[in-house]
Amino acid sequence: MKKDNIKQFHKEFPSNPEARVKALKSILKKEGLIDQKALDEILDTYQNNVGPLNGAKIVAKAWTNKKFKVDLMNNTDQVLKDMELNGRQGEHVVVVENTETIHNLIVCTLCSCYPWPLLGLPPSWYKSDAYRSRAVREPREVLGDFNVKLPISKKVKVWDSTSEIRYLVLPQQPLSSKGLSENELVSWVTRDSMIGTGFPKPPKGE
Amino acid sequence: MSKAHDMGGRLDPRRIDITSSNVKFKADWEKEVFAITLALGFSSLWNLDRSRYARESLEPQDYLQFGYFEKWLAGLINLLGENGIIKDGKESGGNLKKSSFRILEAKNVKKLLHLGGPTKRESTKEKKFNLGDTVSVRAKNSNTRVEKGHTRLPDYVKGMAGKVIAYHGSHVFPDANAHFLGESPEALYSVEFKSQDLWDKCEHVEDTVVVDLWESYLEKFK
Repeated sequence: MKKDNIKQFHKEFPSNPEARVKALKSILKKEGLIDQKALDEILDTYQNNVGPLNGAKIVAKAWTNKKFKVDLMNNTDQVLKDMELNGRQGEHVVVVENTETIHNLIVCTLCSCYPWPLLGLPPSWYKSDAYRSRAVREPREVLGDFNVKLPISKKVKVWDSTSEIRYLVLPQQPLSSKGLSENELVSWVTRDSMIGTGFPKPPKGE
Repeated sequence: MSKAHDMGGRLDPRRIDITSSNVKFKADWEKEVFAITLALGFSSLWNLDRSRYARESLEPQDYLQFGYFEKWLAGLINLLGENGIIKDGKESGGNLKKSSFRILEAKNVKKLLHLGGPTKRESTKEKKFNLGDTVSVRAKNSNTRVEKGHTRLPDYVKGMAGKVIAYHGSHVFPDANAHFLGESPEALYSVEFKSQDLWDKCEHVEDTVVVDLWESYLEKFK
């Protein structure tokens, strides 16, 4: 059988992460392998331009536009491409719909795969050992940590993101928000409601 | 015993800490690690599966002790090491690999992040399973070609029976791609398992877990 071990070169670097990244960066700069402007551009993208608002817009549109919802569910990648909401870590997306009988929950037990173009970068709890371990075994206990309690009539369906398919939960529209416009609804859609660890709720101040 | 990174179903008494729910980076060095890792991901020296393998290949005590971005940082250094870019904690000087290194330029960032790296491939191979089929996951979840190699088959579903609920076309096969053995695209399915089959104590008999699995992870249910 073929062997392909990766050696632990990192041990030759300072163990303090701050000093470690400084040492690495100075090497990469000296060798001309990184462009600081490109690094700034990457951070700007994920800190300022890409976030849960993208996913919220899709959800609000699906709540108010039946044709859009059908397209979104059946032809997801094309719809996202048309809205320019595809991209790295969102190349192949499946939308899963919460109903009266099904509650969906998303996890990645092997690393921390997450639909970046739709939700931005994952919160730290999504990357934690506890969430990765427990979400598949005891999803209802995990939901309890988020103060989410499900009725016994709902089945929990946990999606483990083991491939390059990224999952987005389409939450149920709260009854109290019926009749609002697509624009008004956007602020009801929380990030957690699109992971399955929360529900949509009225925006603060209402 | 599953590898350190293969955490699904591991007993963990810790509650989920939702207090820092909106913090993307806990310190400036984490931002640096994130940006450098993404930038070097475009260098063409490795692929996404290799970078996952590099993180998984950290020694178990490091994997479990390191914070998220510390794993990224150590994995990245190891990738640069195996490509001869660094040596003994320093730049290695003139080397072959550097000439094929593609440097990410600022003007290309938006375009490349938007393009991403689709893994779906055209294939003329006929798929083995259909929607609604009951399938068994193979009994071992180790890489079949490389000793202790990369796989995306989680330990907790090995040997389990489930139902095919979606077919996603052919996708790059991580078990081969992580080791530069070619993309070897394979049919990719979503398979739904009953929680009561997976765990001794399950919370609700109706609950299920869906896992994306490549065709060679699966066998006909017997």
